[in-house]
Amino acid sequence: MSRLLEVNNLSKYFPVRGGLLNRVVSDFRAVDDVSFALQEGKTLGLVGESGSGKTTIGKCILRLLEPTAGQILYDGADITHLKQSELRRLRGEIQMIYQAPAASLNGRMTVGQIIGEPLWIHESLKGNAARERVLELMNVVGLKEEHYYRYPHEFSGGQQQRIGIARALAVQPRLIVLDEPTSALDVSVQAQILNLLQDLQDQFDLTYLFISHDLGVVRYMCDEVALLYLGKIVEVAATEVIFEAPKHPYTQALISAIPEPDPDMQREEIIIRGDLSHSFPQQGCPFAPRCHADKLADCDTIPPPLIEVERRHEVACHLHPAMPIALT
Amino acid sequence: MDMPDLLNIENLHLEFDTYDGVVKVLAGVDLQMRRGDVLGLVGETGCGKSMTALSVPRLIPMPPGRITAGRVSFNGEDILSKSESEMEAFRARHVGMIFQDPVTNLNPLFTIREQLVDAVLYQRAQGQKVPGRWRGFLPSARQMRQEAHERAVELMRLTGIPDGDKRIFDYPHQFSGGMRQRVLIAMALAGDPDLLIADEPTTALDVTIQAQILRLIRSLVAQLGLTVLLITHNLGVVARSCERVAVMYSGRVIEESPVRELFRNPKHPYTRGLIAAVPQKDISRGGLEGIPGMIPNLIDPPAGCRFHPRCQQVMDVCRATVPPTVAVGLEHSTACFLYPEDL
Repeated sequence: MSRLLEVNNLSKYFPVRGGLLNRVVSDFRAVDDVSFALQEGKTLGLVGESGSGKTTIGKCILRLLEPTAGQILYDGADITHLKQSELRRLRGEIQMIYQAPAASLNGRMTVGQIIGEPLWIHESLKGNAARERVLELMNVVGLKEEHYYRYPHEFSGGQQQRIGIARALAVQPRLIVLDEPTSALDVSVQAQILNLLQDLQDQFDLTYLFISHDLGVVRYMCDEVALLYLGKIVEVAATEVIFEAPKHPYTQALISAIPEPDPDMQREEIIIRGDLSHSFPQQGCPFAPRCHADKLADCDTIPPPLIEVERRHEVACHLHPAMPIALT
Repeated sequence: MDMPDLLNIENLHLEFDTYDGVVKVLAGVDLQMRRGDVLGLVGETGCGKSMTALSVPRLIPMPPGRITAGRVSFNGEDILSKSESEMEAFRARHVGMIFQDPVTNLNPLFTIREQLVDAVLYQRAQGQKVPGRWRGFLPSARQMRQEAHERAVELMRLTGIPDGDKRIFDYPHQFSGGMRQRVLIAMALAGDPDLLIADEPTTALDVTIQAQILRLIRSLVAQLGLTVLLITHNLGVVARSCERVAVMYSGRVIEESPVRELFRNPKHPYTRGLIAAVPQKDISRGGLEGIPGMIPNLIDPPAGCRFHPRCQQVMDVCRATVPPTVAVGLEHSTACFLYPEDL
């Protein structure tokens, strides 16, 4: 098993302008020093609340956004500074599926044109050959042949998402970044799409980076989960470990807040105070202002590093016994 | 039942005229709520759950909407026959509503104080239409505003907004999503309503904030004896917050039961499918079941049971006849031919 994608110390800062001359007054740290790796054929979940930077990471990997710092390795090669022409080849390998299926499909193109466009761009395929491939792809994602000449608005949300999936598959990618692929869908349709994604993964040996805020969906889809809080990873581990034995106080609170469809479920509900705020003091742990655990002095002053506390289980929290004691 | 129902919706039919034809949104909704109930109304997009709720304060635009049959009564009063001015007083005093999106429901140009005080004053003014020549004997407008301000701060405290006395002078954009939803709950409570209708109140919020808001609603139920109609598509939210659940599909309530019973012993094939479609603990890869097909077109809905084209256990009778609602247990009813009448 090889590492298909490796992200090292990725940061993305957006400039904040202000003042009389509209100068850059500070940075908005959307992603701050994030590292993770993705094994080929596996699914890594990027989980966090809105504003935690999960979509920004996805876009940096596709180079739709230029990272401020850090390195992205795809299949062993550094893709952080590829030129536009080289990027085009990369886009044949990495594709993205978006949250709002209606907004990510061109309303003036038919389904056949939407799915056929990447074939033309990447493989110069057109005419009957392209049509055959498109129909084959439509069949794979569960669309019918008669949908070929229809327009996106004629479809329900679930069907639109199938079109988006077929378009992403057209170039035979190895890695797909799924940005909240089912959060706009109803549960019964969500289940259909999730199962489709799993089938496609088995069939085409795909690797997924699965971005979501829905922990239930992540538990179902992912092999490994990375939790983000304000642009930093706070915990990474295998899915079962994250859900059974979370170590970071934020992870614990988040898991206790999942509304499980089970009225008999007895568990301690940890309700954390306040909400996500980027105006935390820049030193110290980003979660410290909301943390419900007994804080240490270090929490407010020293940012906790992400360290491996058990095999393949990384946590960034001063409260963890394995955390080295800071020498201040 | 000894206690009279607070809300009683019987056989409600609602249609909308559109250029494509008549959309049959509600096709015989039956729903009863007693005082102090916390009822979850669950269903997928387009099943009519919001329309059912909006028909209580009669907020459905008519035309194009049209109620073709049915009754809605609240506290024994017939809602559908009230005049518009009676409805205004009714809404102000009996029903509070909160919606999914706390951003669009607050005016960005006014402070929270102006909006909350307005709500309080509006509710107070209802029902005491003083003739002009007696106006001079009313407490002065200034004093009324002062009282309303105090009430607004009190409401903010009640809904758990820290530093309400200072933050009341802030504008909506200075509040986070969760705090805005609290402001809207405060506004809905301004008239001491009997019924709070919460239409997807946590859908736009993050899970940790969702947990805070659900806890707030539960504590308000305990403190104020509110009756809550919670509309949601999230079965987890229902399991956590409600005592009873009504499941809607395509314009009808197809199953209703106490919450534990519904999750332990779901009867209607749609309810079963819905519960099986939620990714839960202990479901391994590939174990999730979706419901095949999609929600029906409401202009030309399927004959008989509207769920029959997607149902795994469909019978001939389902294709032709609309199933009546039958009791299948204590306070548990469903509209499905799989269960014989008179159990």
